[in-house]
Amino acid sequence: MTCAELQQVLPELIEGEREAELQAHLQSCSECAELVSDLRAIAEQGRTLRASEEPAPHVWQFIETQLRREGLIHDPGTERPFLLRTPTRRWSPAIWFVPVAAALLLSVAFLLRPKPQSTVATRRPVSDTPSAFSTPEPSADADDSALLEAVQKRSPAMTAAYSDNLRKVNNYISDAQKSLQQNPNDDDAKQYLMQAYEQKTMLYDMALDRALP
Amino acid sequence: MTDRKQRQAAGLSEAEAIERAKQGDAEAFEYLYSLHKRRVYSLCLRMTSNAAEAEDLTQEAFLQLFRKIATFRGESAFSTWLHRMAVNVVLMQLRKKGLPVVPLEDTIESDEETPKKELGTTDVKLAGSVDRLQLQRAIEKLPPGYRTIFVLHDVEGYEHNEIAEIVGCSIGNSKSQLHKARLKLRDFLKFKRAEKAGKP
Repeated sequence: MTCAELQQVLPELIEGEREAELQAHLQSCSECAELVSDLRAIAEQGRTLRASEEPAPHVWQFIETQLRREGLIHDPGTERPFLLRTPTRRWSPAIWFVPVAAALLLSVAFLLRPKPQSTVATRRPVSDTPSAFSTPEPSADADDSALLEAVQKRSPAMTAAYSDNLRKVNNYISDAQKSLQQNPNDDDAKQYLMQAYEQKTMLYDMALDRALP
Repeated sequence: MTDRKQRQAAGLSEAEAIERAKQGDAEAFEYLYSLHKRRVYSLCLRMTSNAAEAEDLTQEAFLQLFRKIATFRGESAFSTWLHRMAVNVVLMQLRKKGLPVVPLEDTIESDEETPKKELGTTDVKLAGSVDRLQLQRAIEKLPPGYRTIFVLHDVEGYEHNEIAEIVGCSIGNSKSQLHKARLKLRDFLKFKRAEKAGKP
């Protein structure tokens, strides 16, 4: 092997490959031997430069503060509500929307508390508009049905509109939830979900207002 | 970390910490930071030669990591993923400073870079002895691309296959760039030694 040939393959040889071949040339060429020796010394000295110092404590303090500000971390034992158990909590308005929606659902349940002659959950509607109410969408839960029953009793003419809006907002919620399941970091999906819950809350609001005597 | 946290963390594997961090566990984040802070800081420090800047870049690299941790699927090693972010953060900073950062794939062989001409053309010998401080200064003078590969391999101990993943080049390219980096460092060191010796 000539010096020029060695130069060509030195990046591989110096890593330990073909060591025998390398040594054979170095034994007969002092200049190449000096080059290889220097390069290995540089590599060896480089290892000693690995920082033994650590970053100052304020580095972590800054990181932690920023992450808390962004809602990305919380302390153990302070579990977030399941709807918020996502890596980012930018859609923090949902924090209070959800309990508001839950409160409204409870209000509806209270208003529709079982009467002696019927149970809300099982009574079939006697509406003349079966297409609007009697076959709720799969995604509508019992509370939606109860709400529509209440609307049906108080303002029958509005039932179809409420049913349609509930169907749409439930589809909206379902789509956003599916997107979030596929990609928990989808900020758009989070925003849509928040807006969907907001809309559903407004629907319940309106329904309860209209339903109140 | 407090002693309590260290004791708790001792029973925590990196994989467990990653899963907990995805759920927003503060102690898991701190544990991951403590595991990797030194290497990330070392990389940033060797690339910038400025402690304050290295701290800023360390912060930025970890913030990016923690913001994206939910997307980590374990396809590569966590440390590789982290160091890729750190390298990108550092290179972006160097670009902002106006330093030319040529992608490794674009590095073109030139006569100037061909090592052959340097062989035996100077009387100054390193004789296998490399001054640590001089080497540090020489690293600062390396172009960012060479500096990255040298720091990752010779300083931080990454293998070429890991470097290839971190910087997005081939293994062959990584070896080639490392070799050129060492040759350039040799030239700088010989020059400095000649300067000291009063030779032209």
